[in-house]
Amino acid sequence: MESYSFDVVIVGGGPAGLACGIKLAEKGVNTLLIERGRFCGSKNLFGGVVYTSSIKEIVPEFPEVSQSPVERPVTEEGYIFFSTKGVVKFFHTKSDSQEAFTALRARFDAFLSEYALKKGLLIAPKTKVVDIILENFKVSGVIVDRPRSFKDLRPAEVKAKIVILAEGVNRLLTEKAGLVKGPFKPEEVVLAIKEVLQLPKGELEKRFGLNEKKGLAAELIGEITSGLPGTGFLYTNTNTLSFGIGIFLNTLVNSNLKPYEILERAKAHPYLHELLDGAEILEYGAHLIPEWGLQGLPKLYGNGVMVVGDAAGLVNPLFREGTNLAIYSGIMAAETALEALEKGDFSEKTLKSYEERFKESYIYKDLLLFKNLKKFLLNNRQIFETYPNLIYEIFSLYFSAQGQYKKEVVREIIRTIKRKRGLFGVLKDIINLGRLFW
Amino acid sequence: MLNILVSIKQVPDTTNIRINPETGTLIREGVPSIINPYDVVALSLACYLKNQFGGSITVITMGPPQARLALKEAMEFGADRIILLTDRKFAGADTLATSYTLAETIKYLERENPFHLYLFGKQAIDGDTAQVGPGVAARLKVPVITYVTKIENIDLKEKIIILHRKTEKGVEIIKAKLPVLITCEKDLAKSPFVPLSEILKAVKSEPEIFAADGPVKFEREKLGLKGSPTQVKKVFTPELKKDTLIYDLSTTSIDEVVMKIIHILEEKKII
Repeated sequence: MESYSFDVVIVGGGPAGLACGIKLAEKGVNTLLIERGRFCGSKNLFGGVVYTSSIKEIVPEFPEVSQSPVERPVTEEGYIFFSTKGVVKFFHTKSDSQEAFTALRARFDAFLSEYALKKGLLIAPKTKVVDIILENFKVSGVIVDRPRSFKDLRPAEVKAKIVILAEGVNRLLTEKAGLVKGPFKPEEVVLAIKEVLQLPKGELEKRFGLNEKKGLAAELIGEITSGLPGTGFLYTNTNTLSFGIGIFLNTLVNSNLKPYEILERAKAHPYLHELLDGAEILEYGAHLIPEWGLQGLPKLYGNGVMVVGDAAGLVNPLFREGTNLAIYSGIMAAETALEALEKGDFSEKTLKSYEERFKESYIYKDLLLFKNLKKFLLNNRQIFETYPNLIYEIFSLYFSAQGQYKKEVVREIIRTIKRKRGLFGVLKDIINLGRLFW
Repeated sequence: MLNILVSIKQVPDTTNIRINPETGTLIREGVPSIINPYDVVALSLACYLKNQFGGSITVITMGPPQARLALKEAMEFGADRIILLTDRKFAGADTLATSYTLAETIKYLERENPFHLYLFGKQAIDGDTAQVGPGVAARLKVPVITYVTKIENIDLKEKIIILHRKTEKGVEIIKAKLPVLITCEKDLAKSPFVPLSEILKAVKSEPEIFAADGPVKFEREKLGLKGSPTQVKKVFTPELKKDTLIYDLSTTSIDEVVMKIIHILEEKKII
C-alpha cells in the first residue's frame, strides 16, 4: 500500500497557499499543495485589483513576465457616490503606473501556480481535503476525498509534518483543527456578487477614456447598494469590465432581496445603465469575503498547523487588500515552516513564531486600526444612505450657483445638510469616524 | 493482459466558445483547453479494462507543445506511457495526414508488443469529422467498429470481443476478433473517480516527445500541411431558418386560428 508523506501539505491553491508553496519549493522543501479545482484559480473569485509590491515578494521579476497574468495597470482610482438623481465622482489620475493592476483570478492564480510548478512545487488538482488527521493532539496530515488506489477505495491519507490551511473563507478545516469555534456569523462576512461584462468593441476605451496602458478602478457607494451597508466596484480589464457589489450577509438577508436583484437594481441606475449599455455578461459569480477582523480571528497556529489568507480572515475591505494579505501571510507561514523544519520541532512552541511575525507586520496593525470599522458601518447606515445623496445635492447647488448671490448658495447648502442629517449628526459622524482610527 | 492504445486530442472547451461574427473564426483567447470529451470516454474505458484484465495503456496525441497537459491528465486514468507528437512539420494536418502520422506511430510502438485494442473518440468536438479513427484502422489494416456504446464481453484466450454499436436504425451487436479499433460513443464508459495515487503520478509525469525526424520514420510529404489536401475556406455558423407565423388572438378568433393551423399541417402532409 502506497502512503504519502510530505514535510509540508498546503490546503488550497489561492494566492496564500501558492505564495507559501513557492517560498517552500524554492528552499527545496518536500511540499504538496492540494487544490480542489480543475486548476488553481478555476474556483476562485475576487473583485479585481492586485498590487505589484506583494507580487514582487514571490515573483521578483513581476510585472516583466512573459504572458502577463494581469489585465490593465490602474491609472485612475477613486470613488463614485451614487444618489438617486446622479453621481459625484472623485478620481485620482496617474500618468503611468505599475503599482496596481486589474486582474481576473482564473488567469492570475493559474500564473502563480505555473510559476510554483517551475520552482518545483507539487500541486495535486481536483482533490478536496475533507478532514485533518489528529495524532496525540498534533495535526499530522490530511484526508482527501479521493480513494487511495484503484484497488483500495478507502479515502487517501497524506501525512505531513506541518499542514498549512489556505482553504479560503469557509475555513471548515480550521474549525476541525480547533483553531476557531463554530461557523462564522452572517454579520462577519460580506457577500460579493460579480459580473464580468464585455462591451461592444472599442467602447471600453471610449466610455472610460482609456488607452491600452491605462485602467480604472472605482469603488461605488450609495444608491448602488440600495442603501444597504456595502459597496460596489467597477474595474476595467483588458477587454472586459469587472462589476460587482458586496453587502454584509446579515443585512442582505434582512432586506429580503436576492443577490441578483441588488445587481439588477444597481445596473438600472441611469449612470450605470448608460455606461454598461450593450454589455454582454461573460461570467457571473459570487463569493463570501471574510470580514470578521480581529474579533473573529482564529488562533493562527497549533501543533503542526498554521492558517493563512482568507481562512484566517485577513482582508482590509477599505483598502481593497485581500490578495496582498494572503500573499504576506503565506510567506510568513513559509518562513515559520522553514524554521520548524530546521529545528525538527513542529509543535505550537515553534509555530508560535508565525503569530509573532504576524503581530509585527502591518497586517496586524491594520486589523487593529480597523477593528471597529465593521461595527461602525453596520450601525451607521447613513454612510450608505444619506451621505451619497447629500454629497450629490451639495455639488448640484455648488455647480448651479451662477447668477445667484453666492452667500445664498452657501446658506442653501447648509440648509440641505441640516435637512438631511443635521449639523449635530454630521459632527457626531465625523467624531465617531475619527475615533475609529485614533 | 490487455495492451491498449488510446488516441486523444486536445480541443478548446466549446461550451465556452464564441465565434467572432466579423471573421467567422473561433475566439480561442482565454478559452481553456480540454481533452475531447469522447476521448475521455476512451480513456475511461481503457481505465476500466486495465483494472479488470490487467495490462497496459499507451496514450498518444498530436498537437502543439501545450497538448502535453492533455497527456498529463490522461495519466490519471492509469496510463503507463504517454507520447506527444509535436513538430512544426506536423502542423496544419487534415484528417488524412493526421491518420497517416498516428498510424505510423502506432506501427512503431507495437513493433514488439502489438496492441489488442485501439480506442478513439467517435469524433472531436472542434472538427466533428469522425474520420481519424477509421483512417488509422484502414492504415493499420485492422477492423474498425464505430459508435460503440457497450462492451459486452472480452475473451482474452479466444481473442474475441463482443460489443454494441449504435446505428441510425438501432443497436448492432458485433462479435469481432482482436485486435480491433473502436470509436467511442459517450455512454460507453463513465469517468472514473480516480485515486490520489494516479493524480500524483499524473502531476509528476512528462510525455515522451516524438518529432517529425524521429524516432518514427515518416514520409515527409505525407505530413502536416504538405500531406493535407483539405483546405478550410470558411468557418461559419449555419443560420437556423424558421418560418414563424404569428396569429394574434385579439384580432383573429380561436376557431379561425385552429382551422388555419390544421390547413398548414395538411398542406405539409404532417396530418
